[in-house]
Amino acid sequence: MKAEIVQTNNNFNIKKSKSSGAFSVMWREILKDKLALASLFILGLLLITVYGATLFINQDKLVTVDLLSIYSPPSADHLLGTDYGGRDILGQLLIGAKNSFTIGFFITLIAGIIGLTVGITAGYFGGKVDNFMMRIVDFVMILPSLMLIIVFVTIAPKYNVYTFIFIMSIFLWTGKARLIRSKTLAERELDYVNASKTLGTPDWKIIIREVLPNLSSIIIVNLTLNLAGNIGIESGLTYLGFGLPETTPSLGTLVSYATNPDILQNKWWIWLPASFLILVMMLCINFIGQALRRAADARQRLG
Amino acid sequence: MVFLKINNLKVYYPIRGGFFRRVVDHVKAVDDISFELKQGETYGLVGESGCGKTTTGRSIIGLTKSTAGEIIFEDKDLTKLSRKDYHNYRRDIQMIFQDPYSSLNPRKRVLDIVAEPLRNFEKLTIAEERQKVQFYIEKVGLSPEDVYKYPHEFSGGQRQRIGIARALTLNPKLIIADEPVSALDVSVQAQVLNFMQDIQKEFNLTYLFISHDLGIIQHMCDRIGIMYRGQFVEEGAAEDIYTNPQHIYTKRLISAIPDINPKNRDKQVEFRKKVNEEYKNSYDKYFNAEGKVYKLKQISNTHSVALP
Ligand SMILES: Nc1ncnc2c1ncn2[C@@H]1O[C@H](COP(=O)(O)OP(=O)(O)O)[C@@H](O)[C@H]1O
Ligand SMILES: [Mg+2]
Repeated sequence: MKAEIVQTNNNFNIKKSKSSGAFSVMWREILKDKLALASLFILGLLLITVYGATLFINQDKLVTVDLLSIYSPPSADHLLGTDYGGRDILGQLLIGAKNSFTIGFFITLIAGIIGLTVGITAGYFGGKVDNFMMRIVDFVMILPSLMLIIVFVTIAPKYNVYTFIFIMSIFLWTGKARLIRSKTLAERELDYVNASKTLGTPDWKIIIREVLPNLSSIIIVNLTLNLAGNIGIESGLTYLGFGLPETTPSLGTLVSYATNPDILQNKWWIWLPASFLILVMMLCINFIGQALRRAADARQRLG
Repeated sequence: MVFLKINNLKVYYPIRGGFFRRVVDHVKAVDDISFELKQGETYGLVGESGCGKTTTGRSIIGLTKSTAGEIIFEDKDLTKLSRKDYHNYRRDIQMIFQDPYSSLNPRKRVLDIVAEPLRNFEKLTIAEERQKVQFYIEKVGLSPEDVYKYPHEFSGGQRQRIGIARALTLNPKLIIADEPVSALDVSVQAQVLNFMQDIQKEFNLTYLFISHDLGIIQHMCDRIGIMYRGQFVEEGAAEDIYTNPQHIYTKRLISAIPDINPKNRDKQVEFRKKVNEEYKNSYDKYFNAEGKVYKLKQISNTHSVALP
């Protein structure tokens, strides 16, 4: 009787262990890693709050100047006080977090898609195709991207979230292309790719159905870690004064108020919450990324 | 009609170096070999590691471009066909790979692995496809439910059988088996080899059997070609090679086959000594000034040797 139960349990385990797909392995790793699990929870809660709350915020009203409540410290009216234009910090914080995350997310996504396409094509076909594509990558890499971004920001007539995403994506795909190319070069030497060729499978199908799934864990890990960095990039550029205009609040615009020594010393409510939020978001994403990275490498897995 | 005839096949790999990765030299992986396969036979290609066996097999199936020479399959030169025409010959020539671990995509179920060629060449409904896959999976000695598993749930021998099932689904005429058992346990090797012989009869297959192990080749092959540094040193019926080896390189390979029968042990040690001595003393007779072998010369109806 007991043996039977053990038996069925084993069967169950065997069935379960079948799901060795990239996603279930990653999910298991996150469940095993308490820090990553907590990060995922916090980040999820944060994003739901931010994206949910911004639905109810009237942005036009938020950015209109209210001279009667300039620099008011946190109160019941303004939970996190106001800035030099009397504008509510909490509202700006929520919209800013949404903008910053959206920007980071789409930069990561677009740069990821370009880098992946270029890298996997160059790596798979090799030879002349590889040579040609990698020269383009080299060219983009040696461009002084920061300078070009700054020039673009200064001369662009309509400068908003979309143009910002566009200009950043143009420069940020190259590293990914290189990474994916080197992984693809290794992968295409494996016999399952040769087998697919001898079985009459066309190249594009081999790339998408055979090689890509075997790179999925590396891609996910890389994108996650990049996401943290890309959220930071927006804040950094805005802080330097080359980011989004004040009419489009972001975490960067709030933090950049701290360039004023008076605000930095005496009006903590303006810049501290935004800085804290950036820190929390980046840490959470990084912890999740670390767990995913371990999941992608069987030797480092916890579970 | 000739089934498969290789004429003066050469495969050179460029070695790049220096500025702009110019081609500075070539590895002559296969350097002018010719041989023929008759339908239904098993032809063995033997030689030490690095002598160009895999390259030969890969260029016949089109994975590696040949530098020169002809590969004539059923009266058509495969090296001159366009990509599209070549597609039609895909079905007729298939390959069993050396490494059963890397030759199956770890992310795919057995069903999807074995059905891959069917999806490329035949329009089947899902049910028909599954039936066909299960038919071949049973043929190779696995159970029909195994099609829902992933490769990592199988042993090396079982994986090699899955690879064989995949090669069989298109009803090929020629199968190139590149060291199909060298990655397997010795206990499993005989099983897979015997099984390959069984399906050869059942599906009327022709094998190009590649191995570095003359013992295994002896067990499998009707005719044998011995390769050395990209060239043939001797070719003949299995009997010619084993009972009447002419080239010193062939003799050395034969003397290295382990004999399990203890009674013959002394005899074998003796033989090995003799061969080694001959190798030292009459090296010049078999190899020219560059250390290459001579052109093949026919010494009987079935037997050729590379002698000056
Ligand atoms: N892709 C390649 N590029 C350059 N040299 C290669 C390549 N593949 C094989 N070679 C060389 O060609 C020779 C023959 O290799 P191979 O056909 O794999 O030998 P075998 O299968 O008999 O062990 C070896 O010297 C090997 O180093
Ligand atoms: Mg080989």
